[in-house]
Amino acid sequence: MESNNSSKRFKRIFSKRGMGQVITVSIGLIMLIIVFGFLNPNFFSYRNISNLLRQIAPIILIGVGQSYVLITGNIDLSIGSVVGMSCMISATLMTKGMNPWLAVCISYISSIFIGILNGKLISKAKLPAFIATLGTMTIARGIAQIVNNNYNTDSIGAKAEGFRNFFYYGKTLGLYNTIWIALVMWLVFNFILSRTRTGRHIYAVGSNINAANLSGVNISSTITKAYLVSAVCSATVGLIITATSGMGTMDAGNGYELYAVASSVIGGVSTLGGQGILLGTIVGASIWGVLQNGLQFAGAPVAIRNIVIGIIVIISVLLDIVVRANKNVTKSKSKGKS
Amino acid sequence: MSNYMVELENVCKSFPGVKALDNVSLRLKSGEVLALLGENGAGKSTLMKILSGVYTKDKGTIKVFGEVIEDINPVKAQELGIAIIHQELNMCEHLTVAQNIFLGREVTKNGVLSDKEMNHEAKKVLNRLNIDIDPETIVGNLSVSKQQMVEISKALSTNAKILIMDEPTSALTSKEIDELFTIIRKLRDDGHGIIYISHRLEELEDIVDRVMILRDGQYITSMDYKDTTLKEIISYMVGREITEKFPRIEKEVGEKIMEVRNLNAGSHVRDINFSLYEGEIVGIAGLMGAGRTEMTRALFGADPKESGDIFLDGEEIRINRPIDSIKSGIVLVPEDRKRDGLCTKLSIKDNISLPNLDLLTSKMGVVNRKKENEITEETVKNLTIRLTNSDANAESLSGGNQQKVVVGKWLARDSRVVIFDEPTRGIDVAAKVEIYNLMNELKDQGIGVLFVSSEMQEILGISDRILVMADGKITKELDIEEATQDIILEYATKFDRKIEMKKEA
Repeated sequence: MESNNSSKRFKRIFSKRGMGQVITVSIGLIMLIIVFGFLNPNFFSYRNISNLLRQIAPIILIGVGQSYVLITGNIDLSIGSVVGMSCMISATLMTKGMNPWLAVCISYISSIFIGILNGKLISKAKLPAFIATLGTMTIARGIAQIVNNNYNTDSIGAKAEGFRNFFYYGKTLGLYNTIWIALVMWLVFNFILSRTRTGRHIYAVGSNINAANLSGVNISSTITKAYLVSAVCSATVGLIITATSGMGTMDAGNGYELYAVASSVIGGVSTLGGQGILLGTIVGASIWGVLQNGLQFAGAPVAIRNIVIGIIVIISVLLDIVVRANKNVTKSKSKGKS
Repeated sequence: MSNYMVELENVCKSFPGVKALDNVSLRLKSGEVLALLGENGAGKSTLMKILSGVYTKDKGTIKVFGEVIEDINPVKAQELGIAIIHQELNMCEHLTVAQNIFLGREVTKNGVLSDKEMNHEAKKVLNRLNIDIDPETIVGNLSVSKQQMVEISKALSTNAKILIMDEPTSALTSKEIDELFTIIRKLRDDGHGIIYISHRLEELEDIVDRVMILRDGQYITSMDYKDTTLKEIISYMVGREITEKFPRIEKEVGEKIMEVRNLNAGSHVRDINFSLYEGEIVGIAGLMGAGRTEMTRALFGADPKESGDIFLDGEEIRINRPIDSIKSGIVLVPEDRKRDGLCTKLSIKDNISLPNLDLLTSKMGVVNRKKENEITEETVKNLTIRLTNSDANAESLSGGNQQKVVVGKWLARDSRVVIFDEPTRGIDVAAKVEIYNLMNELKDQGIGVLFVSSEMQEILGISDRILVMADGKITKELDIEEATQDIILEYATKFDRKIEMKKEA
């Protein structure tokens, strides 16, 4: 009985849409790790692993945000700019002598504002997500530039030592805090997406917005919540960057929105909505991180790394399409026979 | 206390430029199936959208269970026990059956979804209707008919007492329709009120207690089904007696136009052989899934074929892609006009000129707008397409006129063979007759017409020869004199029996 139950459960996990892709890319990830492990004897060292994980953490965060939005059937192009905005606002306020934690709060509030604006523009004003977030992307980047009069900030100073340790340099139980932040946020957002009503509604809106509407799902609030999650994730990454470099950089987070799409999509999140799980986003972000780390060690220039990652994105989505096409063929064949 | 579940009185609704409903009243009793009938644009859907809260009425009263309901919206309608099963199914196909059934009213414990309980409850609802579906199945993996049953279960799980079904059988096979009717009867016997909208009048006798007829937004009449006849219903719908529903013209059969030999494509098109002559309409009958659409698509080059020789006017032609077929003069009016037939977001003119751009462009590839306007005007005139402006989006037209645009774009060039795949699906009676006349005209001009249809009556009414398909094969060729519904059905179901025999063996 128990084994029957567990096999049923196993089956259910597999039947969940997107799980197949997660398994495929996980195998890819393991192969990558093995290859780089052979190439680089230090790859599995504690030092390299913890650095690698710290490198991956921000990508996981923005990936989670983008996944939320993609599952609703939309896209968030403002992620990178919100990262930059959060970085510049927090750093500028700290250099002006503000308490770092208050600066953190203000960064979050302003980012959340962008998230809500995104959600409302798309769900209430019916702007296409691409256009709405293209607009807020430009606005957020503009804010990042204007807060310190078009200059990167000076050092945020010794007063912010606690802040820098919390977000980047400190360790808890042998792991960098950055990794803990990503882990905790992932757990929370994964729980919300898979186990709560809000999460269910996010899938429903992405799967069939009309059906969701007719079933009494509040479309506007659901979409806005997804953008809110994205903004919170981006703001966190901005703070991590401030903590890392100890200053504000105007073009921090440049291009992150597309890294976020890449890690989501590699992990099996559909850009058409309704499909994907955050476990995939972790795997996607890890592939991205391992490639960066491994290729860097192998001496490959940035240009080569970009080309490789671009190819990986295309292959992983292509793989998904081919697998699904085959499934459909076998399905229609068996239908014909029955 | 009135004994009506729903009473609509003198409901009016106008859209810009159109009076969609003019003083329409409707009453529904508990335990009855009311057929709401009328041509496309008669106002059936508008009336039902008002009842289910999607539209707001301009005037009139809505009473549900004797209570006057002032402003009704979808959520309130659901609370009142009104549920609508849409023509296009509204399911989240990525979610499971149980997740769809409970969408919008998920069961939670301390804010956490309780899938176990929802699966359990969903199973109960499904069992109540004797539907055998695992509530944890992903809806996208179910067949259309099963999805529809899930949708009905969803409505019932909200304790809906009043069910509105909009063309529920249009995508079902006859076996599935039987299953659906069993469920509807069960619901009726349990005291639900059902409003049933359908164009398939033949089905009514299996299911309907009362009929109500709308025409041009006005209430025409309602009566008990047993006191009326189909002919009477049709005459009320169109407002005139249609003496000859199927206009047939006589024409001498001439030369052979097309011959298909050994056409094979996938499991649905096996070893197809037939010929088509000048001056005849060849009907292709069969049940859903018999491979008729697949056969037309393979013939047209839309799907790859494994083998098959096609001869046109005695010469062998090679068709690998649709363009090969179009160039040699074989054209297809596909089954799903919105999906395959039209670019709905493009203008009517663009749609007509799209497959004819080779005739309309100069050598440099510039479109000759004057010529484009000419062929558009000519097509609109020849087919009497009713439109306000040929620059309007194709989706703005009614179903019948959309269909005419799909046909018209092919007639703008000299075609030898026109393949019609379910050309009258979902269009009103008057537009159907126009399509029949059009086919007759092609036949008169000596153009070969292949006519796929699931409606037995129109196949019998309009074709000169009938090919019956089952399981991807042509099981019988019938001359119109010898063809009857019984014979067609006998050969169309040949496949089912084979399976049963195999099972026994």
